[in-house]
Amino acid sequence: MSQLVNSITREWRFMLRQKYILVLLLCTLIVTSFSIFSGIKEVSQQHQTIERLKQADLKDRSEAQAKYDDVGSLAYYSFHLSYSAPSNLAFAALGERDVYPWKHRIRMLALEGQIYESDAQNAELAQAGKIDFVFIISALSPLIIILLFHDLFANERNSGRHDLLVSTSISSFSLWGARSIVRFLALFVCLMLPFYIGAAISSVSVTMVVAISAIVLVYMLLWTLLSIWWAQKQNTAPRIASSLIGIWVLFAFIIPILGDLAINHSVHSPKGGDIVLTQREAVNDGWDLPKEATLKAFVETHPKYKDNLVFKNTWAWNWYYAFQQVGDQTAAELSQAYRDASLHKYELAGWVSLLSPPMLVQRSMTRMAETDALAAFEYEQQIRDFHKALRMFYYPFMFGDVEFEKQALNEMPDFEVIKTHVSE
Amino acid sequence: MTVASSGTSPLSMSVILSVTKDEWRYWMRSKLALSVLVIGVLLTLGSVIVTSIQMIELNHQRQSLQNNAEDTFVDQPDRHPHRMVHYGHYAFRLPSPLSMLDPGVDAYTGNSIFLEGHRQNSAMFAEQRQGTALTKLGSLSPSFIVQMLAPLLLVLIGYSTVSRERESHTLSFILGQGTSVGSLLMGKALALFFIVCLIMAPLIVSSVFALYQGESIAIVISFLLGYMLYLIVWALVILAISSVFSKNSESFTSLIFLWVLLCIALPRIASTTAATIAPNPGKLETDFAVIAELRKLGDGHNANDPAFDKLKASLLKQYNVDSIDQLPINFRGAVARNSEAELTQVLNRFAEQSMAKELEQTLLARHFGWLSPMVAIRSLSMINAGTSIETHHRFLRETEALRFDFVQALNTVHVEQLDYQIDINRSNDEASSRKARVSAENWQVLKDFKFEIDSPSTRLSRSVSSYLQLLIWVAFLSLIIKNIGRRLQ
Repeated sequence: MSQLVNSITREWRFMLRQKYILVLLLCTLIVTSFSIFSGIKEVSQQHQTIERLKQADLKDRSEAQAKYDDVGSLAYYSFHLSYSAPSNLAFAALGERDVYPWKHRIRMLALEGQIYESDAQNAELAQAGKIDFVFIISALSPLIIILLFHDLFANERNSGRHDLLVSTSISSFSLWGARSIVRFLALFVCLMLPFYIGAAISSVSVTMVVAISAIVLVYMLLWTLLSIWWAQKQNTAPRIASSLIGIWVLFAFIIPILGDLAINHSVHSPKGGDIVLTQREAVNDGWDLPKEATLKAFVETHPKYKDNLVFKNTWAWNWYYAFQQVGDQTAAELSQAYRDASLHKYELAGWVSLLSPPMLVQRSMTRMAETDALAAFEYEQQIRDFHKALRMFYYPFMFGDVEFEKQALNEMPDFEVIKTHVSE
Repeated sequence: MTVASSGTSPLSMSVILSVTKDEWRYWMRSKLALSVLVIGVLLTLGSVIVTSIQMIELNHQRQSLQNNAEDTFVDQPDRHPHRMVHYGHYAFRLPSPLSMLDPGVDAYTGNSIFLEGHRQNSAMFAEQRQGTALTKLGSLSPSFIVQMLAPLLLVLIGYSTVSRERESHTLSFILGQGTSVGSLLMGKALALFFIVCLIMAPLIVSSVFALYQGESIAIVISFLLGYMLYLIVWALVILAISSVFSKNSESFTSLIFLWVLLCIALPRIASTTAATIAPNPGKLETDFAVIAELRKLGDGHNANDPAFDKLKASLLKQYNVDSIDQLPINFRGAVARNSEAELTQVLNRFAEQSMAKELEQTLLARHFGWLSPMVAIRSLSMINAGTSIETHHRFLRETEALRFDFVQALNTVHVEQLDYQIDINRSNDEASSRKARVSAENWQVLKDFKFEIDSPSTRLSRSVSSYLQLLIWVAFLSLIIKNIGRRLQ
C-alpha cells in the first residue's frame, strides 16, 4: 500500500514537471469554469425573464379585465402567460432551450394558430452551439484524455527508456498504473471541481450530483482504458492518437449524422405548415358556413351544450369561439401526427445514441436537467392543457346558461396549478 | 545547419518542387496519410452531394408551397375585404444557391411566416425543432466538414512535415546539399497547398453548380477564396508548429491541442460570450411594450373609438361634409387603413430594435474571428452564401413589406368599393351580410413573393472584416515562419 502511495507521489511530482500536461490541465480548468459560469448566468437570466414576464403579464391582463365587461371581449383581449422554468441542473446542460421556446402567451383563439409561434434565441448563435458542461464532458474530455494518455508508453519507448524503466520498476503497474491514476485524477478534478461549485450555488440535489459524477467517471474511464489499451498496441505516439481521434470523430460525428439522416428518411411527418393552413381554412370557413354547421361540429365534442345552444342570427361571440374550437378540432389529427412524429424521432435517436457514447452522455444529462426535446414536448402539452382549462372555464358562460359576473374571473385557471397537476 | 551559404542561396523553383515531390512521395508511402486523405476527400464529396440534394428538395418544396399559398388567396370567393385581411397569406424563404454548401441558420429559423392584419408573426417551424438532436455536435454540411474536420485531416497528414526531418537528423543533410531553408519551407508549404486544393475540389465543382443556379460569380469566387485562405491558415499553422518542435510527438500534440482550442472550443465560447454579454430580451418581452403602445392608438375595428376623432375631423374637412354618412368614402375602411399604418409603424420600430439587438450579439461573436480562424470562415461563409442572420432579417423585413402592402390594398378596397351604409348594417341579417361583400377580383392585389437574398455587393461588403481576420492570420503566420526559418539555419 505504501508502495502505491510512494509511486503516486513520485508520479505526481513527475507530472508537475511536465509543462504541456500542466498547460492542458489548466486550459481544461479555465474552459470548464467558463462553461459553468456562463451556464449559471444564462439560467439566472432565464429566471429573471420569467419573473419580469409574470409581472408584465399580470398587469396587462388586469388592464384588459378592467376595460371590458362582457365575457366575449374579456376572453378575446386577455392573454395568458405560460413558461417552463429551468431546473437546478440546467446550468450544466443548457440543452435544447435555445431551439425550443420556453415561454409563451396564449389566448382563447384557436390554439393551433398560436402554439407554433416561437420566441427562440439568436439563430446564428444557436447554430454555433453553446459551450456548456455537457459539451465539455461529451465532446472535449475524450480529446483531452487522448492527449493525456496516448504517449504513456510511446515516449519512453521512443527515447529508449522504456525497457530500462520496466526492468528497474518493481512492477509495471506501479509505474504505468500510478502514472495513469495521477493523470486521470488530475483531469477529473479539473473537470468536476467547477461543476461541484456550480452545483452548490444552484443547490442541485446530492443524488443528482452523485449521478452526474458517476456518468462522468464511467465515460472518462471508457476513453482512458481505450486510450491505454490502444497505446500498448501501437508504437508511435502520433499514430496512436490519430486512430483514437478517428474513433472520436466516428462516435461524435459520423454515427450521429448517419443516424440523423436515416431517421429523417424513415419517419414521415406532416409538414408543420399544413397544420396551420388546415386550421386557418377551418376557422375562415366558419365565417361563411351556415351557423348550423359550426353548431353541429361544436356540440359533437361538447354534448352537454347540445340542448340549449343557439347562435343568434347576427354576429355573436359564442359563434366566434365555436368556430375557433372547430378549427382546432379540424387540425387535431394532423397536429397529433406531427407531435407523434417528433416523439418517434426522439425515441429512435435514443437507439442511435447507444452506438455513440458522446450522444448518450448528452442525452442522459439533458434528460436529468430537463432541457431536452422531451422536456420541450412536455411543456407544449402543458400549454395545451392550460388552453383546455381556460376553455372549460369560459365555455359555461358562453355556451351554457351560467350568468357571467366579473367576480368569476378570480376563479380563472392558473398556469402554475395546471402544470403541477399535469406532472403528477 | 553547418553550411552557412545554404540560408543565403536564392529560392529556386526546381528545388522547391523537388521538396514538394519528396513530401508527396512520403505521404503516398505512409498508410496513415493516405487513408486520412482518402477519407477526407470522400467525406467532403459525400456531404456536398447529400446537402445539395436536400437543399434542392427544400427549394422545390417551398416554391410550390409559395405558389399554393398565392393561388389559395386569389381563389377566395367574394367577401368583405376585412375578412381577407384576417384570412392572411403565407410567405416562404427560398434557400439561396450556395446554401447547399453552407445551410447556415436555415434549419434554426422558421422558414415560413403567416402574414395577417394587425400583427407581425414570427417565422414558424424551424426544422431543428423536429430534429433528432443528433447533429448537436456537427452536421453533414460541407461547410462544417471543411471548417472543422479538414484542419484535423491536414494536421494528421502534415504534423511531421519538418519535425520529421529534425527528429531523424536529415535536416542538416538536406540543407547541406544546397537546399536553402526558404526553399525547404516553401516546398513543404506547396505540398500542403496541394492537399488544400484536393479538399477544395468538391467545393469548387458544386460552386459551379451554384453559379448555374444564378449565384453571382463575384460571390462564388469570394466564397471559395475564403475557404482557400482558411485552409492556407491551417497549412501555415502546421508548417510553423512542425518547424518549432524537434520531435514529431511534440509537434503532433501541440497541433491537436490548437485544433481543439481553435475549432471546437473557441466558436462555442464566442457564441456563449455574446449571449452572456448582450442578452436579448426576446420577442415575448418586447411584445408587452408593443401592446402598451398599441393601446394608445385605439382598435381599428371600432370606428367609434375616440382615438379616431382626429381622423374623422380631417376627413370631414377634406370632403367638406358634416357627417361621416355624407362622406363619399367608407369611413370604417379609412379607420382600418389609418390604424394599420400607425400600428405598423410601432411594430416596425420594435422589430428593428429587436433585430439590431440580435445583430449586435452576432457581431460580438464574430469578433472572435481575430482569435480563431474558424470563427472568421464561419461568418464569411454564411454571409457570402446568404444564410447568415442578416439574410434572415432581410426575409423578415421583406415579408413585412409584403404584409403591409396587401393589407393596405385590401383596406383601400374597403374604403373605395364598399358603401358605408351597407357596411355598418352587415350584421343585421344574412342578406345584409351577403350584400357587404366585394368581388373576388380584388384579391389580385396580392403581389407574387419570391424571396431573394441580399445583393452580391452587400454580402461582399459585410464579409470584409472576416477577410481581414483571415488575411491577418496569414500575414502573422508567415512572419512567424520566416523567423523560425532563420533559427533553423
